[in-house]
Amino acid sequence: MNAVESRLEHIRGRVAPKSHNARTIAALTSNPGCARRAIMDAAGVDKQRLAAYSGFPAPFGQSQFAITRGNAFEAQVKANGCAELLRLLREHLGLSIPEVSYDDLNDVGGNTGLVVRHVRTRSLLARAVNSGSDAGTLFDHPLLRLQVAGRPVFLEPDLIAFQLGGRFHVVEIKSFAVIDGQADGDKVAAAVIQSAVYVHALRELLAGHGMAEDAVADEVVLVCPENFSNAPTAALLDVRKQLTVLRRQLARLASIESLLDVLPADLTFDLGMDDDGVPSRSPAELRDAIFTVDARYAPECLASCEMCFLCRHEAQGRTETLGREVRDELGAIDSIAAVLGLADGTLAPADDQAEAAGLLRAAARLRRECTGEAA
Amino acid sequence: MTAEMEALERRMDSLQAEVRRAMVAGDRDLARALRAELNECRSQWEASLTELEGQAPEPAGSHGAQGPILPVREQVHQVLTLLGAPAAPKLVIAIHDALFAGLLPGARLTSLRRDEERSFRSAPYARPYYICAALTAELLSPARGLLAVSTWPMDRRIVGPLSPRVDFLTAAIRVAERFRDLYRGNSGVSPESRRLLWRFAANIPRAAQSASTINPDEIIVAARAELAVHERADSEQRAESALRARAQLDDAEQLFGTGLRLSRLTSADG
Repeated sequence: MNAVESRLEHIRGRVAPKSHNARTIAALTSNPGCARRAIMDAAGVDKQRLAAYSGFPAPFGQSQFAITRGNAFEAQVKANGCAELLRLLREHLGLSIPEVSYDDLNDVGGNTGLVVRHVRTRSLLARAVNSGSDAGTLFDHPLLRLQVAGRPVFLEPDLIAFQLGGRFHVVEIKSFAVIDGQADGDKVAAAVIQSAVYVHALRELLAGHGMAEDAVADEVVLVCPENFSNAPTAALLDVRKQLTVLRRQLARLASIESLLDVLPADLTFDLGMDDDGVPSRSPAELRDAIFTVDARYAPECLASCEMCFLCRHEAQGRTETLGREVRDELGAIDSIAAVLGLADGTLAPADDQAEAAGLLRAAARLRRECTGEAA
Repeated sequence: MTAEMEALERRMDSLQAEVRRAMVAGDRDLARALRAELNECRSQWEASLTELEGQAPEPAGSHGAQGPILPVREQVHQVLTLLGAPAAPKLVIAIHDALFAGLLPGARLTSLRRDEERSFRSAPYARPYYICAALTAELLSPARGLLAVSTWPMDRRIVGPLSPRVDFLTAAIRVAERFRDLYRGNSGVSPESRRLLWRFAANIPRAAQSASTINPDEIIVAARAELAVHERADSEQRAESALRARAQLDDAEQLFGTGLRLSRLTSADG
């Protein structure tokens, strides 16, 4: 174990690291500038627990109904040797008729162990790559592995289709509806970034077999119910942009050292659990420890991070609570009180605030003129 | 027979009381064991009851419209024999609902394979057939969520990479043939049956234009055309695995599959 790892272990405290999944990896990319999240994710901290104990529990996680619905739709699409999926791939993507081979990787001879399934996935995919045309087309729930912050993470895409134009395509089955050719933008964005995680993991795996990156397509196949029915429809989505962001963020996690350097050496998020699992550390003390790591709060965090309520509380009265755009516009001025003070002239601007202050005063004057208030 | 059943009834009564006492005392393990025993008694009792029913003279109008007429395993056997290929419980139920009389309770299918395996292991070959597992081609393990019939030749129960599609097409042909025979010159096809046929037709190239214009003959032709593409490669694979299964597995394993043999997987993997 090297110095960085032992440092992260100390930060996490005496609990097992929380493992990532495609969702959490995808969430990493939504706020790349946040050191707090980067440190916590690298250390494998249980953010949900930490947030709850420090007094700001976030109502996070997928609803049981959504999970059940998702599974039922996936089962329907994959029923009878992926009958519906084959039709979609043939109609939309020109999969040829002989390509129907189907390998179930949900278990290996009744064994559902992660390592066994990963080994089997690797050997089947390698065989498909090496023997060319007739060695597998559909791989159901393959298990991929990706190094995140120095730890292996197992990832399970819904399906990988091979031989679609001689390349691997990740197929993601989601249960939100595409109505009249349109789907909820946020949900599509989330699906795209998750698929990008799978594409990245698959490329890493194939790189181990000496395959070039373009063996895995930049485009993923998204399968969703069409309109108000249960009939599936498919669309191709480009994930190149998300892949770039993802790679950058994963590289950043790997170089967590530079972030650790500026933190106190005794920093820890340990809850001080006793033998019965009851935390003994005081919430206030824990909050102080969390505050030593800089966060970069933005309202978008509320959709993707367990620590969001704590960070929002911390950011109260500061410009970032108004959104990234406002914060960037106002540059060096970070409190809302200061902004208002500069605008109505009760506060004298420092040298680096002069430009922003001029703009603010102009804006305040315009506002007064519009609303007819006295100067 | 009746004396035996009376003994079972007394045993069930006392077991029920014991389960309750165990629950009250908070001893869950004991309660679970007792309940298992209770269930065992109950199924024996049910079996005896069915036998009694067979001996009794048939009273008029004894079959309700609702309850199953046949035991679940026979209903499943009927459907699988029609399909001629291993099938998932969901498909079995859909086909039973559309083509056969009575109800097939879905919940009973989940434990069917396990019950059959237990029955076979305690008294091998006591029944004329068993509802058993389909075997995966490579590892000869039971294929996830598929039911098959023990009297089929081994190669039909093997599931290789191409087999799910081949079995789907085979089933489509068999179902369409059945429809053709049932509704020959008769337009009274129920909406349920039409829906079932459409589920097959929609996913086979050039099998039907729309749900309202389904024609069993077209489905058969289209399915046969696609089947011809896959059939040879699939049957070669199946035959090879079947040979291996017969050589390597014992009787029970041939029907219900074998667990994972790690050494073989890792050696195959290099």
